[in-house]
Amino acid sequence: MNASPAILAESLVKRYPVFRGFRELARHPFDRRTLTALDGLDLRVERGRVFCLLGPNGAGKTTLIKILATLVLPDGGRALVGGHDVACEAGPAKRAVGYAVGEERSFYWRLSGRQNLEFFAALYGLRGAGRDRRIGEVLELAGLGDAAGLRFNTYSTGMKQMLAFARALLADASILLVDEPTRSLDPLAADRIRTFLCGELAGRQGKTVLWATHDLGEAADHADDIAVISRGRIRLQGPAEALARGGRAALREAYERAVAETETTP
Amino acid sequence: MSARTTGGVFRAFLRRDFREAASYKLSFVSSVAGILLSSATFYFVAKLVPRGAPALDPFGGDYFSFAVVGVAFAGLLGMFQEGLSAVVRGAQLSGTLEALLVTPVPVPAILFGSSLYSLLFQLVRTALHLAVAAALFGLLLGRINVAGVLAVGVLTVLCFLSVGVLSASFILVYKMGNPFSWVLGTVSGLLGGVVFPVSLLPPWIRWISRLLPVTYSLDGMRKSLLASAPFTAIVPDIVALAVFVAVLLPLSLIAFRLAVRKAKRDGTLSHF
Repeated sequence: MNASPAILAESLVKRYPVFRGFRELARHPFDRRTLTALDGLDLRVERGRVFCLLGPNGAGKTTLIKILATLVLPDGGRALVGGHDVACEAGPAKRAVGYAVGEERSFYWRLSGRQNLEFFAALYGLRGAGRDRRIGEVLELAGLGDAAGLRFNTYSTGMKQMLAFARALLADASILLVDEPTRSLDPLAADRIRTFLCGELAGRQGKTVLWATHDLGEAADHADDIAVISRGRIRLQGPAEALARGGRAALREAYERAVAETETTP
Repeated sequence: MSARTTGGVFRAFLRRDFREAASYKLSFVSSVAGILLSSATFYFVAKLVPRGAPALDPFGGDYFSFAVVGVAFAGLLGMFQEGLSAVVRGAQLSGTLEALLVTPVPVPAILFGSSLYSLLFQLVRTALHLAVAAALFGLLLGRINVAGVLAVGVLTVLCFLSVGVLSASFILVYKMGNPFSWVLGTVSGLLGGVVFPVSLLPPWIRWISRLLPVTYSLDGMRKSLLASAPFTAIVPDIVALAVFVAVLLPLSLIAFRLAVRKAKRDGTLSHF
């Protein structure tokens, strides 16, 4: 394995301030209550691997991904993507990762798929013929070549998700962060996305994929490595072939055990 | 970012917003209709105000011209003042803010680029407003003091953009209830001399208008456009605007940097 990991998190801590009502603020104006999302999380993702991050709702998956995408600042510890510290080298860190925001509202609905990509490509510094070539490439990769001229608001949910991947690939970053990309997709569309992530991006292009998911089967079938996060810490981590050796049922058992342990220990 | 890259980024924002605006076919038509209705309203109201009223003397003496310049420029200043925060709020609500913030473009460039189309559109709208008022309703422009227009214009843009950055900082952290917009928008409409001269206000309240940048912007602009005033007559307005810029510009930049940091720290950058 390469000595320099694609993603490295050490003792990562994130606490969010808790919203307080007017009465509470009046009674205790100087109190500061927080909710711990990450509690000293350690993670190492090697280059070129498909790394699935499993965990219950509120475990800290999205917080971790947003910290790696430089959208949220950690309160303690450090996180490196492509060797760049997300807190103090945000510029190079942003160039190292492609963040496939699954949120369909992150596009301009009255523009076509191609027009959306033209806009974001300019923000990644792509211009002229090079920009057009790259947009053509990522549209073909995402299977949207024929639909590129259609308005985004006519796309199906699966096409919107594929356009999100196409956007994340514009800058050809070596690390891809994806947060529940198959959520609310039909089984065939979900399979296309899994194949695209593992076969095309990780397999053919050698990209590192950090993939947050709730779907144990998805992780068992497609990941190289799996980690279970619960209450802000990695509770279980290892190669998928070891964790899922006994199939999906074995992974489910290990997952349930890891999550249950955190509910009984502080 | 290099100048070339910055130019490319701003062009991309302009193209995006033009394409979006062009997809709303009736928007431009209703904007022009608004200009016509506003000009017509003040044209008839002006018939109630005798030409040469003492309070209008410093501005050429014609109420219609006074009001049209006030309304046209107040719209422009309002856009400078609120355009940036509207952009942040719009991106928070539409869900595009996160997608913009993960790109390598610095946050101030995203903010300015996102509001560029609206600012330029409002600039064109202001010019169109004056042109319609001149062509159809007899707006009386004096011998235009170009140096005065430029000096007051540049300082006004810097001043109101600073207020805009302060508003955007507030929206980034608190999402709604922007006090800058309320205080400057509402109070400026009444006390800033938009549709009547500040000199008509009772002395005990007139001092408040002296604390509002819009008072000096409109005063300087009207003297330069309507009253054929020499540059020396506009110097007090220029000095006042320069003081506002000297205070507000650095303050707004510091506030914006702190606001982005706080929103990232609280994890609320894209919340709404």
